[in-house]
Amino acid sequence: MKKKPDQLQRRCPRLGGPVEFSYCRTCEIQNQPCFKIFDCWWEFFDVVTYMKEHLPEEQFNKLAQKKTKPKVVSIVEMIREIQQCGRNK
Amino acid sequence: MQVRNILLKQDEMPRQWYNILADIKLNPPLGPDGNPVKPEDLAPVFPMNLIEQEVSSERWIDIPEEVLNIYAIWRPSPLVRAYGLEKALGTPAKIYYKNESVSPPGSHKPNTSVPQAYYNKVFGIKKITTETGAGQWGSALSFACAQFGIECKVFMVRVSFDQKPYRKSMMEMWGGKCVASPSTETKAGRDALARDPDTPGSLGIAISEAIEAAVSDQTGQTRYSLGSVLNHVMLHQTIIGLEAKKQLEMVGDYPDIIIGCAGGGSNFAGLAFPFVLDKMNGKQIEIYPVEPAACPTLTRAPFVYDHGDTAGYTPLLPMHSLGHAFVPPPIHTGGLRYHGMSPTVSQLVAEGLFEPKSVSQLDALKTGITVARTEGIIPAPETTHALAYVIQEAEKAKQESKEKVILFNWSGHGLLDLGSYDKYFTGSLENYILSDDVLAESEKIFANYPKPQLLKSR
Repeated sequence: MKKKPDQLQRRCPRLGGPVEFSYCRTCEIQNQPCFKIFDCWWEFFDVVTYMKEHLPEEQFNKLAQKKTKPKVVSIVEMIREIQQCGRNK
Repeated sequence: MQVRNILLKQDEMPRQWYNILADIKLNPPLGPDGNPVKPEDLAPVFPMNLIEQEVSSERWIDIPEEVLNIYAIWRPSPLVRAYGLEKALGTPAKIYYKNESVSPPGSHKPNTSVPQAYYNKVFGIKKITTETGAGQWGSALSFACAQFGIECKVFMVRVSFDQKPYRKSMMEMWGGKCVASPSTETKAGRDALARDPDTPGSLGIAISEAIEAAVSDQTGQTRYSLGSVLNHVMLHQTIIGLEAKKQLEMVGDYPDIIIGCAGGGSNFAGLAFPFVLDKMNGKQIEIYPVEPAACPTLTRAPFVYDHGDTAGYTPLLPMHSLGHAFVPPPIHTGGLRYHGMSPTVSQLVAEGLFEPKSVSQLDALKTGITVARTEGIIPAPETTHALAYVIQEAEKAKQESKEKVILFNWSGHGLLDLGSYDKYFTGSLENYILSDDVLAESEKIFANYPKPQLLKSR
């Protein structure tokens, strides 16, 4: 029997353990998909069409155009956000 | 008796790490303001002595005596001749691996967690925070902090926390405090829980929690630690390749091929970087980072005449093909796989000094089982990706009747990652499920092409 996408499993290269597709499409803040979702799943099924059909256009475009920042840059951004948040308290 | 293990004496351990930044050029990372990130930008999360290493272009950096003393718990790690695997494959290739699974936490990770804990200690830091996915890094940092009397706090992604309870036990054995992320201990965690109390968490949230816990400590005595990607992490891992070089010299060999699995790049870089300079200086050596993939071509595609290029300019050749017009989704192009990869490894791929390879998750796990039965050690799932490609190269050497020397990194054991093997045994993992409709659509292109004969040489 053919599995539905949400039931498919693979080893998550970031977590190092098995996860279902349902995890990858909702695991980030506010149930947003993981930024690697296309990278990890395109070979299993047509994940691009699937996400296009299931996400509002704006969110899909945001995901599709997302460029990963160098680690150092994302760390610096996080530091500034946290410091800003502390100052605003 | 065959001598399997090539061992260095403890006092023969390398005394310096090799810094690849001395020999390559990298574009500086640009901060949110568009200017290059400055060392002081990172000061809230890393001690300045580690930041200095992050930006250093000194080729050789001394390994402190205190770090060597802790390394000596398991280093030098054995270089092992994989006689069992060679025999099973019937290959003329000589296969060697650096066995990094012998460290107390069972992976290569403490090669950097130990110096990171040390430099934090020297800088006066009392507590280190981090995030962990599978738990390898969390346990390596807990182990290292225990050696230097530093408090360790690990935010472990909830889904892994539930899947791998023994990792938490391991961290606690070394005094690390492991909490499931999202937790109630940080604003980032509380916000995530408020949105969804049942959230399984993510690495992104766990990183936010670990960084917040470090930055918001008003005493200034807490810092954050990262186990991959960054330059200083790659630097510390070079002890693997430096030892391997000495060990190969002992038996009069030098690698033709170097292979390592590449996630963030640290275990691969650790083995490969010390050999890169030789390659830059003209040494014939192939260096392959290997990562997960699931190429369907040979398993699902028909044997047809097809063009080798998407535009159809090349002659028709017989091949397994999904159709020259079949390409991955456009957003997948441009090396997307290398997101999250160390900039130094990415740079060397871009310069053509490394040639990335990929293997499917099922081939990797299957190889892991084969190798566990020939070499005895159960490999970590990451390691199986390297192993799968080692086997491909060993088979190639057999076909070519060449006695190639293959060196790879056995980055860790899989004793706490048996869930992946269980999934393989029960058939829960699949390689590739391109729908029949999509396949049929992609094959329409062959309708007017000649059909190749399936010829057999014997």
